[in-house]
Amino acid sequence: MQDTWGIPGPTFIVGFFIALIAIAAAAAIHRRILFRGDKNARVDDLGPQQIAYLNGGDRLALYASLGGLRAAGALGTTGRALVQTGPIPSGVTPLDSAVHHAASRQIRTRELTDDQWVRSALDDLRAGLERRGLAVSRETIKRARLWGFAGGALLLICVLRLVAGAQNGKPIGFLFPALFFTAIFTFAASRTKRIATTTAVTRLRELRTEHGYLAPAQSPAYATYGAAGAAMGVALFGAASLYAMDPAFAAEAEIQRAIAGGLSTGSTGAAGGSCGSSSSCGGSSSCGGGGCGGGGGCGG
Amino acid sequence: MAETAYGVGIGWRPEIAGFVAGLPGLRFAEVVAESVHAHGDLPEGLPALLDRGVTVVPHGVRLSLGGADPVEPQRVGHLAAVAERLGAPLVSEHIAFVRAAGIEAGHLLPIPRSREAVDAVVANVARTTAELPVPLALEPIAALFDWPDDEMSEADFLTEILDRTGALLLLDIANVYANARNRGEDPLELLDKLPLDRVAYVHVAGGAEHQGLYHDTHTDAVPPAVLDLVAELCARHRPPALMLERDGDYPPAAELRSELDAIAAAAGCPAVTG
Repeated sequence: MQDTWGIPGPTFIVGFFIALIAIAAAAAIHRRILFRGDKNARVDDLGPQQIAYLNGGDRLALYASLGGLRAAGALGTTGRALVQTGPIPSGVTPLDSAVHHAASRQIRTRELTDDQWVRSALDDLRAGLERRGLAVSRETIKRARLWGFAGGALLLICVLRLVAGAQNGKPIGFLFPALFFTAIFTFAASRTKRIATTTAVTRLRELRTEHGYLAPAQSPAYATYGAAGAAMGVALFGAASLYAMDPAFAAEAEIQRAIAGGLSTGSTGAAGGSCGSSSSCGGSSSCGGGGCGGGGGCGG
Repeated sequence: MAETAYGVGIGWRPEIAGFVAGLPGLRFAEVVAESVHAHGDLPEGLPALLDRGVTVVPHGVRLSLGGADPVEPQRVGHLAAVAERLGAPLVSEHIAFVRAAGIEAGHLLPIPRSREAVDAVVANVARTTAELPVPLALEPIAALFDWPDDEMSEADFLTEILDRTGALLLLDIANVYANARNRGEDPLELLDKLPLDRVAYVHVAGGAEHQGLYHDTHTDAVPPAVLDLVAELCARHRPPALMLERDGDYPPAAELRSELDAIAAAAGCPAVTG
């Protein structure tokens, strides 16, 4: 009986896996180069919304804007819709203006990206970050996804071999793992997603350490840090910061808690918001022991 | 601590760690001792403060020095370990009790100003200082009421405890104000009677009146009357350090800064806000 396509099974399978590994390695190296970004790019002059975009895309940039506007008293909720509760603060970003404007017609948070002005502000924000080598452009992502075609070609070969082998009455068991791994690679490569360049990711990590006091686990005094601090907290530590700052607002505005929360690790420290240990009020002030003001104040 | 002038400091709390870190002239801060692990990581932000040479003093709130029971050795051990970790020149605790017969009060409670109570405090302070690597400063608390079995004036009570223990005094000027106001007394009388040369540092805190009584809340602004008392104190004997003690309802940074500046101005110390 002749070998399928004139290639013995073991030779084919070894050759196939070598090709798959070579393609996966080439794709990985290409990704590294594509997503490297400008290694001299700086982030110290970025605003909270730009940092938020790098950390969690459009949605977190919007949340950072909401956090800043809320802390400045310019935004509230009615039911599930955002409403203006004050004038737009001075010195805000175009995104803030757009969000504040959108709130004048009681828009819901998830509809914000459909607002033309908000959309354009977000696009400008992203374009600026792309130019600086901090955000990965859509074109770059498309290029990275081209590896999906290489995976697809391998997948096709594998399927054809499977069919031919089966028709030929040859053993085809080894082709199934080959098919499986090729499918995973193809799926992953063609769905590549990336927001921040490698440089930006490194810088974000540094910023998170530098602004560790804004981590929700520190129970930051957002009133003290002001609107900029609130927005930076959301930018670096995700939507959980909005819940820490203003749980009622965050819930009514339907803020998705999980946004970018996964990155905000490593800064929970020892202090945290544990019961009464961080106040000098003599113990269980935050554990239902009567509170500081109740039994005659702190007295300490 | 008595040899160096630290000027105006602030109670370090995790909630305002970023604000404290941004005070350029800060040389002194206080941290609640129970919020610092003896061996684990220091609270976020505290190492940076220590690295820049800020003196951080652990302030105990749960030792219960005024309790009838002996202080718990593990609590003393923790205070000592934290003092070592922070390289603190001293530690402080309250003349108060926070638990009795195993029940936690959750508050600093006043002890009667009786000779028996003095003996109990002196014994507990002796047990504590025996284990501490640095001196201990004792802070009298604000009390909304006096016990019926008080035998001594506040000045005599404090002076006797300090004399018998050799401890330093952590004077809470807002407590002096609160107690005097609620008892209808003159706060300056107490200041004149206290051994001010034994003051290690001074707490300055805000409060508010509620149902005719002044509450030392630590969550309100420092009233002008307390700042006046700071000026009176410093005119008599300026302590090595004074600090703003805020424990919640933190105001915008600008307000905290102006409170620090107001304390500095009242005390005749340089501003730490830059």
